[in-house]
Formats: sequence, C-alpha cells, structure tokens
Amino acid sequence: MIDMHNISKVFRTDVVQTHALRDLTLKVERGEFVAITGHSGSGKTTFLNVAGLLEELDSGRYTFDGQDVSRLTDNQRSGIRNEKIGFIFQGFNLIPDLNVYHNVEAPLHYRRMPGAERHRRVTAALDRVGLATRMKHIPAQLSGGQQQRVAIARAICGDPRVILADEPTGNLDTTMSEQIMQLLLEINAAGTTILMVTHNPELAQRVHRQLHIVDGQIDQIHHFKSVQPLPAVKTAAN
Amino acid sequence: MLIHDLRLAVRSLRRNPVLSALMIGAIAVGIAASMISITLYHARAGHPIPWKDDKLFAVTLDTRDDEPPQSFERHPEYPPFQLTYQDARALYTSDIPQHSVMMFRSGQVLTPDNHGVKPFGVSTRVTTADFFTMFDVPFLYGSGWPRAQDDAPGAVVVLSRYMNEKIFGGANSVGRLVVLDGRSYRVVGVIASWMPRPKYYDLNGWEGWEIPEEVFIPFGWGRTLKMSPHGNTNCVRRSAKMDGPDSLYTQECVWLQYWVEVRNRAERDRYQAFVDNYTNEQRLHGRFPRKNNNRVVNVPTWLAMWDVVGEDSRMQLVLGFVFLAVCVLNTIGLMLAKFLAAAPISGLRRALGARRSDITRQHLIEVIVVGLAGGAVGMALTLGGLGGLKVLMFSGRLAHSHNPDRLVLIQSFFHMDIPVMLAAVGLSLLAGILAGLYPAYRIGHLAPATFLKTQ
Repeated sequence: MIDMHNISKVFRTDVVQTHALRDLTLKVERGEFVAITGHSGSGKTTFLNVAGLLEELDSGRYTFDGQDVSRLTDNQRSGIRNEKIGFIFQGFNLIPDLNVYHNVEAPLHYRRMPGAERHRRVTAALDRVGLATRMKHIPAQLSGGQQQRVAIARAICGDPRVILADEPTGNLDTTMSEQIMQLLLEINAAGTTILMVTHNPELAQRVHRQLHIVDGQIDQIHHFKSVQPLPAVKTAAN
Repeated sequence: MLIHDLRLAVRSLRRNPVLSALMIGAIAVGIAASMISITLYHARAGHPIPWKDDKLFAVTLDTRDDEPPQSFERHPEYPPFQLTYQDARALYTSDIPQHSVMMFRSGQVLTPDNHGVKPFGVSTRVTTADFFTMFDVPFLYGSGWPRAQDDAPGAVVVLSRYMNEKIFGGANSVGRLVVLDGRSYRVVGVIASWMPRPKYYDLNGWEGWEIPEEVFIPFGWGRTLKMSPHGNTNCVRRSAKMDGPDSLYTQECVWLQYWVEVRNRAERDRYQAFVDNYTNEQRLHGRFPRKNNNRVVNVPTWLAMWDVVGEDSRMQLVLGFVFLAVCVLNTIGLMLAKFLAAAPISGLRRALGARRSDITRQHLIEVIVVGLAGGAVGMALTLGGLGGLKVLMFSGRLAHSHNPDRLVLIQSFFHMDIPVMLAAVGLSLLAGILAGLYPAYRIGHLAPATFLKTQ
C-alpha cells in the first residue's frame, strides 16, 4: 500500500537546515495497522505529512497504492488525499462553526459527489462511530472523545485506503482513548490501512507493527501480530 | 459547489462579525463617496441636444479693448460669451445659416384673468422666432410665431407648460389673452415638458443650471418696452457708458445670446469666414482692436469652454475614486488579516482534498459577498448623502421658488438613474474582488500542512 524508498525531507530557513527525514525506507502492507513512535522532533509528524501528500519530499521514491506519487502536481496530490486518505489529528481539527453533519460532509464536497450520496455516506459514517443522534451539534457542544469520533467519521466517510492518525488519543483521557483505539481497530479490521503516530506505548503494542523513529530514520521495528488476509481488494467504487 | 461556497462565505462572515462589518463598511463608504461624485458629475455632464452637434453653434466675437474695463477673469482667452446688440443685429442679416437667434432673458408681471389670483412675476425670454425650431422645443398646443413678428413685434406669447397650467388649468389656451406688464398678448403656443440640462442656450445665472423661461415674446418687445436683461451685461470698451435702457442698443456692451443652426460642416466653415470678415471690416472702423478671436462652437465645446462641467466637478470625481481606492486598500489589509486568521481551516480543507483553486474560489466568493454587501450599504449611504446634500445646498432656493420645474431640475442632480445604479453594483463587485484577489490567492497557495497543528 505504501512503499517509501530513501525518502528525505529537509526544512530550510536562511540560517539553518533541518533534516526531518533521512533516507527513510518503509513498506506498509494493505490492511496493516502501524504505530509510529518517537520523541518530539524525531520526524514522526513530517513522516505522516509526507505519507499523506501534505508535504513534498526532497528525494527518494514514494509509491502509494501502486502509483508513484513522488512528483505529482498539487491538484493530483489533492485528488489522492481526497479519495484515498483519511486524516485524524490530535486536536480533532473540526471546523468550529459547522455542525457534526457538515464537518463529516466537508471532504465529499471536493469530490463533487451528489447530495444524496453525500447524505448516505455521512449518515452511515456517523452511525458507525455512534454519533447519528448528534448530527446537528456543533463541535463545542461535544466532549473530546465525541469530537474525535466525528473526526474519525470524517476520515472514513470517503472510504479511504489509508487513515493517517497523528496522536489521535493525545488529548483524551484513558477511557476515551480506549474507545477511540477500539474504533480504529474495528476500522482496520474492516480492511483500512492505518498509520498512527502515538506516544502511548500500550496502544503502540496493540497494532501489527511499531516503528520507532529517531532523527528522521527508522530506528527499531517491532512486529506484534501478522496482518490477516482480506477477502477482496477494495476498489474506489466500494 | 457555488452554493456550498456561498454558504461557507456567509458562515465565515458571521464567524467574525466585527471584522466583516469593518470590511463591508470600508467598501460601503468608498462606494458612497464615489457614487455621490459620479451622480453629481453624471447630472452635470449630460448632453442636452446631442443630435445637433454638427448643426447648432454658439457665436461669440472678441469686441474687447486690449485692457477692457471689465475683466473676464475665468477665461480671458475666450471672447465674452454674449454679443453687443449692433454685432448681433449685423450677424442676423446673414443668410448662410438655416436659422439664427438673438435673445435675452428678462422678467415681467403677469396679471391673470382670474380675479382671485394676484399678479405675479414671470421669467421671460425675449427672442427671435427661430428659437423654438433651433432648440427643438416641443409644443403641446400651437407653435411659435413667424419671423415677421420679431422686429415689429406681434402681441403674441408662448407659454411654458407650467404657466399654462397655472393660468389656464392646462387647457388648450391658443388664442386666449395673457396680460404681461399691463399689455395683452395672444397665446400662440404652449410648450410641452422641456428642460434642457444644462440650459445651454443661456449660461447666465447659475452656470446654466436654471429652468427654461415661463413665457416667450418676440425680440422687438425688448427695445419697445425698454426691458432690461436678467443676466450679465458687460461693457467691453472703455468708451462704453450705460445710462438707461437705450444704452444697451448703442453701447459696446455684451448682453445678447446668439446661436445659429447650419445644415452641414461646410456651411459652418462658411459662416465662420463670414464672421471673421465682419470683424475685419469692423476693425477698419476702429472696432475690434484685438486680433480675430471669433468662435463658432457646437454645444459640447460651448459647455466645456465655460466650465459648465467644471474642473471642480472632475476633481470631485477623481477624489471620489481616490477615496474608494483608499477604502479598497484598507479592505485588502482587513481581508488578509481575516483570511490568515482562518488559515488553519483552509489548511484542514486542503488536507481533506480541496485543491488550491477550491480554496481560492471559496475566498473569492466571500469577497464578492463582501463587495455586494458593501455595495448595498454604499447605495443606501449614497441615497442618504445625496438627500443630505440636496437639503444643504438647495433648501433656500426651493423655498423661494413657486415653479415645480425648479424642484424637478434640482432633483435631477441628485437622482441615481439605472446606469449609475448599475455602475454602483459593478464598482462594488470590482472593489470587493480587487480587495480580495491577493488575500484569496495568498490563502489558496499556503502549504496545507503549515497550519494543521495550530488548528
């Protein structure tokens, strides 16, 4: 699903260069749930941004879902993000003045999807995260855990191949974290590949594989369980 | 998608009402300033008789001494804008033009038949017969008088529509009698609604911003009744002396308006040559000490020469647009601040799959909404401003006028017609887009990851 080979990313200012990723090589299989750990500044978020096509890489080759995405135009990258990638952020990143329904619906607008189809997908996604009764609420009226579930509904409503989660439980208490982790495991079990940055070692051990990043390179890899074969290859039409 | 963007724009504006109100207010004030300038300019810059540009010409001659006793300060380079009686009379003999008119404005007292109505003053145009034909005066009833009644003046009168309504209740009064200064005149014609703006045929008074006269009588009555002109009388030679009404007809003083109508350009050139020959010939008799400076000019040139649409009007127009530009610049700053404050949301939308063009378009829709809202508020401010100006500038003038045509004239200065309203809508759209183009482009081209952590 994700095949990175010698990926490098450098941030430059007038006076300093920061090597966020150094010759990083990684393969993630379809249906795999990978946890990424590392200290602050180790390059975890940059890795996630590069994987999610939010940042361009400086060198190396990146193949996503069988397509070389190393040198795509901005519009092509936007298209892939919209159709194949779902994002979950630590701070939930919901749009404060949109209600739950419209927050979840937002990415579908950029796919020029008809209203009826948008409605079907949004209600299905909210039902799946247990928030079908909260559609009219605005984010400020929800708890942190509920907000993160809205963000998950937004990530899955487009039926993505990969979900990139950047510390999705970082702002939540233990109970809420457990609920979110359970939800992610269910989504993964249904076939969606997940890459999750986390500082929580306990959560990191409940996935297929844990990568530890140090100074922009993968330092250690721990395998906890193997990926179960999936019944069929998902297509965009699904 | 457009409706979606429109909804987002409205939500975005409601998210920060103070900043939104400031932006809309800035554009509204700029629009109001420029629209008030445009409205006033548009009213003054109108062309009263465009279909006669190549036919109708004002005639002026430079009769002045080298150092005339009365200066013509505003435009000393032009000849005085009126003629002496003897020059007008000499030019009137020419058969080159199809029509000629010499005339002046005066005033009389009209005594109505109806004993219940007190005598009242009226404005009178004392003119030769061609006036009505040359200036395309529309008639409700009857017509003007024949040329034969100009010099040995016939006791005939043409009434304005308002005057006919006032003394005859609007009925066909042709053949009825009107008493002016104690003398009876037979009505031969009643003019339909007619208000050339500006009153180009006589720029005396309020720089041509006057209503046409209420009664019209043959030119010969001026001398017979020793009528005095209600306009400027300028003596242009040191030797001129004004002692009584007869002096107008003997002294080198200018007080008559003079116009000709020709059939074509060649005839106009022939007429110019005729006028120049006349002044050359007069110079041999000691008149016209200056070099020839005779003007035979059409209406647009005439209005431009005498600053009917003055430099101040043009300056006011420029200042209006400069003010709008300043408001737009301020709005650019406010928009940039607003858009950058909401940049994390744009970054999030980019992460969710929005293209740069989606973000730019979404913000452009927002600036168009701001522009249109600013335009709507600006239009209201414009109407309020024009109403206020009308009261400030003309309340005294209206209070002392019995003629409703004057109200119509003054209202026409402050009237926003359809083209001006369309200009306001276009201008507000343009202002909004100009103010938002750079901020919208800038926000659309931010790297999507930049603000995600800070959202």
